[in-house]
Amino acid sequence: MRCNFCEDYQDRGPNMKKAGPILQVTGLSKNFGTLRALSNISFELAGGKILGLVGDNGAGRSTLLRILSGGLQPSGGQIYLEGKATRFKSPADAMKKGIAITYQFSQLVDIAKVWENFFMGRELTKRIGPLAFLDVQKMKHLAAGAIAKYGHTFDVEREARELSGGQRRLLAISRAIQANPKIFLMDEPTHGLSKRVINEIFDLLRKTKEASDTSIIITAQWYEQVCDFVDEVIVLRRGEVVGHFDAESADGGQVFKLAMGLTP
Amino acid sequence: MKSARYLFGAVRAKSMEYYTWLLFIGIYLATGLFVPTLFIPATFLNVLVQGTTVGLLSIGMAFVMLVGEIDLSVVAVASFAPMAGILAWEIGLPVPAAILLTLLVGVGVGLFNGLLITKLRIPSLVQTCAMWWMLAGIVLVATRGMAKAGLPNSWMQLGRVFIGPIPLLVFFFIIVVSAAVIFARRTVTGRRLYLVGGNSEACSAMGIPVDRIRIIAFMTSGLFSALAGYALSARMGFVSARFAVEWLMPAIAAPVIAGLSLTGGRGNLINVVAGAYLVQLIVIVVRAGGVSGYSYEFVQGLLVFIAILVDTVRRRVTGL
Ligand SMILES: Nc1ncnc2c1ncn2[C@@H]1O[C@H](COP(=O)(O)OP(=O)(O)OP(=O)(O)O)[C@@H](O)[C@H]1O
Ligand SMILES: [Mg+2]
Repeated sequence: MRCNFCEDYQDRGPNMKKAGPILQVTGLSKNFGTLRALSNISFELAGGKILGLVGDNGAGRSTLLRILSGGLQPSGGQIYLEGKATRFKSPADAMKKGIAITYQFSQLVDIAKVWENFFMGRELTKRIGPLAFLDVQKMKHLAAGAIAKYGHTFDVEREARELSGGQRRLLAISRAIQANPKIFLMDEPTHGLSKRVINEIFDLLRKTKEASDTSIIITAQWYEQVCDFVDEVIVLRRGEVVGHFDAESADGGQVFKLAMGLTP
Repeated sequence: MKSARYLFGAVRAKSMEYYTWLLFIGIYLATGLFVPTLFIPATFLNVLVQGTTVGLLSIGMAFVMLVGEIDLSVVAVASFAPMAGILAWEIGLPVPAAILLTLLVGVGVGLFNGLLITKLRIPSLVQTCAMWWMLAGIVLVATRGMAKAGLPNSWMQLGRVFIGPIPLLVFFFIIVVSAAVIFARRTVTGRRLYLVGGNSEACSAMGIPVDRIRIIAFMTSGLFSALAGYALSARMGFVSARFAVEWLMPAIAAPVIAGLSLTGGRGNLINVVAGAYLVQLIVIVVRAGGVSGYSYEFVQGLLVFIAILVDTVRRRVTGL
């Protein structure tokens, strides 16, 4: 199965501002005790491109994204951000350097309100004299607006625990987009969402990307989930890169076989 | 018709939000029928003044409860911190500096507790219990077990001065508690206390410095314990190793009565003040009711237990 929906952002050669890749990973590995979750991972991500990461359960996709977002430290290898060797010391550090992530399991505070979840970690304030106070009205307003963009409104005064699984995911994705990252990491965002919402998210991401040159890494269980969306795809199997294709040359069947270890 | 129903709903929601205040006022009026002195202004002011100790301790306790922790060292800090201030005054520190030192000692103990709890991952129950023991021991050594009287007059002004008919301490309490409420509700750090208590893993994933927030909670608790100790010593005119000890359980009970979840992330500090006054009221009423010295503690504990039980049932029923 092939995807040919991507021409419009494949052909953006003249628009390319930076020559080098925004993110470069070389020889990255991660051990959990004796378990080798990632070994010798190398790839490049150009500015404004979308990279898919496909693999079986336990292939190491979440581990890779968590290293790139400061949640885990690699056991070996190097990460270069805009050409400079970088280490993401913590999620806060990675955020400061322009990385945003949506986790496989949405990281929400269940007993906090939607708008509080939306702005947690980068709350808006207004100054009164020397003191900074939360700008609650503005945060509520912006959160409601951001969520409404997906044609899926829900009350931002509700607590996160009252949301459906898909709404939780939407909340997590929209808050990450709102952070306006240089690199946006998405761990299985399509899981549990309806086709309509997925398309809305992808549309919005494309627009965001056009406007601000955001690069995206997105993981999926099957290539077909993201084939309309990505520029390139990397196939992971047991912590190793077993395939790396352009969207043009990628073939769903072949990616599946590689991911499952069915090809010699 | 519809708007009337909305209005009713809103009023009900608001009054449920401040349920603890309704409970306090209701119980005050009800017990007033049996203990009529409660309706004398002087008694009322007395309740207000006496309640400041447990009020300040409970507010401090509430901050650590918001992040899902507990601080058993509050009553020890309440005697250790002013003791340090007074000893420093005795060797020549001016009174305002000694008061400042008292507060800094409280904050410092909180910082120390917080660092050990977050960095070494010692459970707060264990760490603050050890701290309680240690500080109480130090005060015992420093005072040889005696109450330390002869405090300077300017130190005691907070407990002695009146503005009109109202003691200065009441204004002091209102200001300090308002600052705490604004801090918790309206500042970034304050809101983060709730978020960390709700789900610390999600917080660190979103780049919130969870350890720092927890440490700040303990420092705030230390500060309010020191404030409680300073205010109490100003009122009583002495400091001793055990002079706030009886308030440990009330300081834990008051936030719970006010609906703070022991697992963190929920609760309204304004209600904690009501919870504290409710506990104080129970203590005063039991005393005024002439309950004998032996059963006094038991009756107090029983009433607090009933208050907590009532509150739990209320939350089950209303789902709030
Ligand atoms: N914190 C951890 N401690 C120990 N082992 C871990 C840890 N996190 C992941 N692993 C192991 O690392 C390997 C890769 O896990 P990872 O979560 O990255 O897989 P994945 O590709 O995201 O798969 P899934 O489809 O299940 O999400 C698995 O074998 C997993 O058991
Ligand atoms: Mg995963």
